[in-house]
Amino acid sequence: MAINEQMLKSIIEDVLKEMTGAAPAAAPAAAPAAAPAAAAAAAGAVKLTPVGDAAQGVASDEVVIGLAPAFAEFQNVSIIDVPHDKILKEIIAGIEEEGLKARVIKVYRSSDVAVVGHTAAKLSGSGIGIGLQSKGTCLIHQRDLPQLSNLELFSQAPLIDLETYRAIGKNAAKYAKGESPKPVPVRNDQMARPAYQAKAALLHIKETEHVVNGKKAIEQQVSFA
Amino acid sequence: MILAGIDIGNASTETALARYVDGKMDFLASGIVDTTGMKGTRQNIHGVFASLKQALEKADLTVENVDLIRINEAAPVIGDVAMETITETIITESTMIGHNPSTPGGLGVGVGITVDIRDVNNCEKGSAVIVIIPREVDFDNSSSIINNAVKSGIYVNGAIVQRDDGVLINNRLEKKIPIVDEVSLIEKVPLNMRAAIEVAAPGSVVEQLSNPYGIATVFELNSDETKQVVPVSRALIGNRSAVVIKTPAGDVKERKIPAGQIIIQGENKKAQVNVDDGAEKIMEAIRSVAPVSDIKGEAGTNAGGMLEKVRQVMSNLTDQLPSAIKIQDLLAVDTFVPQTVKGGVAEEFSMENAVGIAAMVKADKLQMNMIAEELEKELGVKVEVGGVEADMAIRGALTTPGSNKPMAIIDMGAGSTDAAIINRSDEIKSIHLAGAGNMVTLLIGSELGFEDLALAEDIKKYPLAKVESLFHIRHEDGTVQFYDKPLDPRTFARVVILTPLGMVPIPGNHSMERIRQVRRDAKTKVFVVNAIRSLERVSPTGNVRDMEFVTLVGGSALDFEIPQLVTDALSKYSIVAGRANIRGVEGPRNAVASGLVLAYAEGE
Repeated sequence: MAINEQMLKSIIEDVLKEMTGAAPAAAPAAAPAAAPAAAAAAAGAVKLTPVGDAAQGVASDEVVIGLAPAFAEFQNVSIIDVPHDKILKEIIAGIEEEGLKARVIKVYRSSDVAVVGHTAAKLSGSGIGIGLQSKGTCLIHQRDLPQLSNLELFSQAPLIDLETYRAIGKNAAKYAKGESPKPVPVRNDQMARPAYQAKAALLHIKETEHVVNGKKAIEQQVSFA
Repeated sequence: MILAGIDIGNASTETALARYVDGKMDFLASGIVDTTGMKGTRQNIHGVFASLKQALEKADLTVENVDLIRINEAAPVIGDVAMETITETIITESTMIGHNPSTPGGLGVGVGITVDIRDVNNCEKGSAVIVIIPREVDFDNSSSIINNAVKSGIYVNGAIVQRDDGVLINNRLEKKIPIVDEVSLIEKVPLNMRAAIEVAAPGSVVEQLSNPYGIATVFELNSDETKQVVPVSRALIGNRSAVVIKTPAGDVKERKIPAGQIIIQGENKKAQVNVDDGAEKIMEAIRSVAPVSDIKGEAGTNAGGMLEKVRQVMSNLTDQLPSAIKIQDLLAVDTFVPQTVKGGVAEEFSMENAVGIAAMVKADKLQMNMIAEELEKELGVKVEVGGVEADMAIRGALTTPGSNKPMAIIDMGAGSTDAAIINRSDEIKSIHLAGAGNMVTLLIGSELGFEDLALAEDIKKYPLAKVESLFHIRHEDGTVQFYDKPLDPRTFARVVILTPLGMVPIPGNHSMERIRQVRRDAKTKVFVVNAIRSLERVSPTGNVRDMEFVTLVGGSALDFEIPQLVTDALSKYSIVAGRANIRGVEGPRNAVASGLVLAYAEGE
């Protein structure tokens, strides 16, 4: 398919707009204390408050949600403009509905969804973690799996709606309970790749800018306004 | 001379290759491949080639070396299976929601008038209500509405929720109430009606609403009305959560679907039986008129259609008029099929009664002659049709070490179960019965709700295990096996089938215990019943007890548990039964093929 010039322009404009919006916040990234305040405004109704290094969990009734570096801080909507606060709320609700607890951490050492998810899984008391990128890409991971493997992968971010995020949370909790959930139905659209490839690449680059090599995952207190 | 015996079965085509010199038979090799096409048809030839080639290669011979091929006079039986649901549950006016959401909220029993949550504040103070929460109201809003309503003096005693929000709402309520969620067709729930909700603690089941007097207590029913709610309470037995709504004309019915009559024509007698009377009545009727000469279904009914289909398939295969095809045996089995409840609002399932039927049709032997002629033309080797399949099988089975005449065999195949008995004076009596491996597959598939019969076939053939972590599985019998490398993530936390090609995860939420139970029940219902049925027929006295030695042959005798189930059942009749070991090396396979070769020697 041909991506016409106009479309390309609009994408670039979109991204530029977001970049200028995010730039002021990106600059003081070195001073983490300042970041949450800015993030709270940017991400709408969700407030992430860092509460120190993420510890190894021991409770077998928890699922750890790993967020990529820019999530709800430097970016606040997914690739199809689903707000980050709603995404996080639905995943947590899915876990809670199954009677488990969600723990949220921010992973800084990589923006790769597999690394984020695997880090979360390894810190999780149940061994089950969810990895979530700012553009919306998501997976369910298990600590014993190789990093680049997964239990369920939702690679086409443009096709994930809030109901799917709820179902992802539910399924992760069911794995933690040792149940055999039906994998969350994944939609597939041949056109999602060509239509969103450029935007996805830019969003990923933006996320990767906030990667801090060697920085430990930080546990986050989540509050919804 | 070099001899090949080839047995074309319903599922596999087997070859026995032997050298016959100076009255001495020397077995060289054997071959086995899947049967190509329906047994007894031209398509079988490809399978015959492949099977023969396999055996020849093992013996370092070529087709030119073979002097004679003997094929079985394929006991011309074709089995077919069908399933008929005979009951259905119908709910009128949505009087009951009996589904089992995996995570309902709250605990206890609540009674009140149904009201949309968005109108709850219009209710009078002091009134008892059950709120209906549609998809549009999320858990945050609905819980705060309920909290406010309770504060302003309205008794919110329960909630019926469309989304899967039960636990979420419950966690946010100040006063806990029972909540039933995942009611997908919530718009069908009647408003302004008295309703009762019950949610039991995890691991327990509803007690109040599954008891007719419990419902009577809640709704203040008189004795006549209480009689009418019995089906409602019955339908709720075993659920963790339930809703009952009292509407003027609402009702729950279990209805019998008229499935039609089966007419069994015996040689001397005739019997008619309704399919919806269940398998036991059908089998009784068949026993009462035996020997059966033909079975027909009532025209224009499901039973009729089912049996006519078998007849039609057979007539196409044999180029005979459907009216000339006679159904000679039938095995009916009671089973359960999960069906959506008609009129339900939460996609409730109910296990409905069903009857599975395997029918067996007898054809003539022309088709085998045709195959023999064709084979002879293509191979340039003399091909002859050997004796009756059961006679050959018994000859083959007698090569089992430790066996002796008189002996009975039960040949458990895919399409039919055959039995034969040989006495000391070498007289052989044999019969063919409907129902074998394919029937078991059908029963497993339908009872677990799998449309994919290949999956049901795997469940039948191989044992199960539960993948408990990525490094260990728990087998059916409870033993644990560890692995050094992580298992395939697709099998994680799932019940898997341990096939020789690896683990196959079973979809759905069936527990390993349940799948195992369904599998063993299906095998018992078909093979144990048929083993006893067939021995009754061939026994010289008509009594199973008068037999001493029984060997099991055929593909299904290779199964990991069928021989044990049959051996166990027959030991109650003090019969020594066990899996055959043809020529001491083949196991229960190759009986007919070996018998074909041996019969040649005896014939000379």
